[in-house]
Amino acid sequence: MSTNRQQRLNDAITKSIEEPKQRDALYNCMKRGRDKRTERLLTLPGGAAFRDEVKAIKDRCIDKQEELLERFIASSEARGCQVYVAKDGADAIAYCLEVAKKHDAKTVSKSKSLTTEEIEINEDMEAAGLSVVETDLGELIIQLVHEKPFHLVFPSVHKMRDDVAEIFAKATGKPVEATIESIMPVVRSYLRPIFLNTDIGMTGANVGVADTGAICIETNEGNGRLVSAIGKVHIAVMGMEKIVETMDDGMAMVLAHPVSASGQLPTTYVTWMAGRNPMGADGKPRESHIVILDNGRREMAKDPIMRENLRCIRCGACMNACPTYGVVGGHTFGHIYPGPMGITWTAGVHGYDVAAEFADLCVSCGLCKEICPTQIDMPLGIAKVKHRDHQKNPPSFTNELLMAAESAAKLGCATAPFSNISLGNPAFRWVMEKVTGIDRRREMPPFARKTLRKRWTSQIDPAKVKRKVAFFHDIFVNYNAPELGMKALRRLEAQGCEVVLPEQQACGYPYIGYGDLDRAQNAAIYNVTRLAEYVAQGYDIVTTEPTAAYCLRETYPKLLPLNPKAKLVAAATHEYFAYLMELEGAAGTNTLEGHTYGFHCSCHQRPLGMGTEAMDWVRKHGGTIELIETGTCCGMAGTFGLKHGPMGYDLANAVGKPLFDAFQEKKVDAIVTESSVCSIHLEEGTGMKTVHPLDLV
Amino acid sequence: MSKTLANNFKAAFEAVSGHAYLVRTQAEVCDLILKIAQDAGAQKVALAELPDSVIDEAAARCSANGMEVLRPPYHSETALGEIDQVQVGVTGARFGIAETGTLAEVVFDDTSRLVSSLPRTHIGIVHANDLVETLRGSAVRMTELYKENPENIMVSYISGPSRTGDIEMILTLGVHGPEHAHAILILGDDA
Repeated sequence: MSTNRQQRLNDAITKSIEEPKQRDALYNCMKRGRDKRTERLLTLPGGAAFRDEVKAIKDRCIDKQEELLERFIASSEARGCQVYVAKDGADAIAYCLEVAKKHDAKTVSKSKSLTTEEIEINEDMEAAGLSVVETDLGELIIQLVHEKPFHLVFPSVHKMRDDVAEIFAKATGKPVEATIESIMPVVRSYLRPIFLNTDIGMTGANVGVADTGAICIETNEGNGRLVSAIGKVHIAVMGMEKIVETMDDGMAMVLAHPVSASGQLPTTYVTWMAGRNPMGADGKPRESHIVILDNGRREMAKDPIMRENLRCIRCGACMNACPTYGVVGGHTFGHIYPGPMGITWTAGVHGYDVAAEFADLCVSCGLCKEICPTQIDMPLGIAKVKHRDHQKNPPSFTNELLMAAESAAKLGCATAPFSNISLGNPAFRWVMEKVTGIDRRREMPPFARKTLRKRWTSQIDPAKVKRKVAFFHDIFVNYNAPELGMKALRRLEAQGCEVVLPEQQACGYPYIGYGDLDRAQNAAIYNVTRLAEYVAQGYDIVTTEPTAAYCLRETYPKLLPLNPKAKLVAAATHEYFAYLMELEGAAGTNTLEGHTYGFHCSCHQRPLGMGTEAMDWVRKHGGTIELIETGTCCGMAGTFGLKHGPMGYDLANAVGKPLFDAFQEKKVDAIVTESSVCSIHLEEGTGMKTVHPLDLV
Repeated sequence: MSKTLANNFKAAFEAVSGHAYLVRTQAEVCDLILKIAQDAGAQKVALAELPDSVIDEAAARCSANGMEVLRPPYHSETALGEIDQVQVGVTGARFGIAETGTLAEVVFDDTSRLVSSLPRTHIGIVHANDLVETLRGSAVRMTELYKENPENIMVSYISGPSRTGDIEMILTLGVHGPEHAHAILILGDDA
């Protein structure tokens, strides 16, 4: 990472951590978005499965994009619209200015349009002498103070009522009392003459429908209706990827969008515009121009990873889930588009270099992908942004070290107990922090003298073998916690499993996190090749590390799209407790009776079943356990939280704070988690005992 | 069936801060329009996209109670300024969506869009027989509409009053458009 960039991000993180008011406002906004979405999904038939349908619709339409574009243009022109396909921002702006000139326009009223923000059209229109007003309240607030959106859906969430009152006092030249009830009438009377005197009503379009030539504008405020109805001329600027095929596709988007953003059913106003209506019974035909923007979209379609971006429906759900965005906000974590999709989308429309300026804020927890209504693999797209950046700005020494964690672990075990004595020595840890960039405050797990691979020998009677298991141990269980591994495997043996430890490398997920796609792919090839041989012989793959399970199941098939073995391995991979519970059934013990635990589900475990089986396993041994969560990451994010400084330890703790508080409030006996790294972070952050389920019984 | 849908519509419309009423006759519709307008302290009422008989009766009732009534046809030069001065706008919806409490206003003249978006209070009227169950299901109705109308056509899905949460996420109604949204559902003889 370039030093300037690192310094800038570090400063911004530190500043955000020191500004609790702004951070809390953002956190509450995001949490509300997440919670409302979750509530709404319970009422939708099929719940979260709507994502599969929305993804399928978008995929189909992207596959047919050029055809649908032609059809949209034809249907829209047949209804009297003038359609222009702009190759980039400058082209789109030139067209709009031409329209303004032709109509001798003086004023432009806009309803919220991220696409027009993408091309920064306001600046050029103002330079051409037009008066441009954003009529969405959030957008208006930030326009008046010349800022960019802090959040996609709530652009001015960082402005409190005092700030807003001051902003409108300045705009109107009259004092405004700092209460919502006083501010709102001021806004209404400020905006009304602007609406009434609109020469050009400029909107975006949430959807364009090829079959009908209609565009759809979703707003809660109704400002989209007003500007599109009143403006003497209407201009819609729409990203090419917004075109879907049928009205049914369009309705799916109209639902997916607000449900994902805030759990709302359709926005209050959904305006379907096809052609342009006259104003009044004696009214003349009026113009509607639809500017369809390419600006890198066609290029994105050619790249298998970036192509997924085109599924984005701009709901902002990803930023409601993103742990680090939640601390720093959209001014640091964003260019024009904020948040996780801001990184990949920026790469596509503003360039990889621009995206790389904030890509390192992504800790690759994958929560964005899980909440995304079209399941865009943002972590992989972001890894690509980081990867390309490394050609110019090589990764830091610390990131290199963390990517090579397995070599360090090998060395640690080979030199134990000396390595462990050193790890326990404050002076050594100080030196370690200086040399490696690993924070000295982190209690690193000790290395085992004898790894799991060295300790494990199968003891099962061949006559009793019912199932065959190829165990994927990853780093922690092999190098740091072989006793845990032994417990796990003996339990499988007791259920009639013949267990083998195939040749393997660490799963390599840190390569994704720190942006080395070549080495991620190499690790995938190595493991897939070897594991596939076992799968072919009837072995199931089982792992105790949630990130390893995620990597095998979700990431490898993406990294090796043409390798059929990757799919084979993915399908044969099981999380440890899901596998064990199936074998053991409901029979348990009363060992844990009277004990209460709080369960932490690691981010990568979320798509794998939220740790349900691990909790059931604790329950069948008499324990009381419940999932305790905030809906986002604990902050550790693999090895990110080990790093010294704002971009690591400090940010990890700022992210984790609400979760630490939640655990402490519950007054449980211990925190239970299957993730080796989350465990370190939670124990330090809460001061509570944190254990693996197998260590309870 | 239409009664069930009407009740679902009512619940959904009220969940988004609207007020919904189930009635049977045109006289009841006009009673409600008058009452809502009186409660809103209206001096001017605008009507659009309604059958002539409803317009005539509603206009008569409101005029008799001292209100000025604007009614179609609206004129291109004056409509905007006039409708901006109105406190209550009343429009007919072509269909509604029960699941989401949505009125679908179908118009070919944008003065009608002004009647439902500029005044403080909007009253939308729909026949319960014209309710479809779900938002997704409304795509069928929309596809037909577009087929029947090959040129300009604006459809506005309206679910409740104009809302914003842009200051501290606090829900506030009526900053841009109507603060009060009323939906009157006319039940058919079968319901």
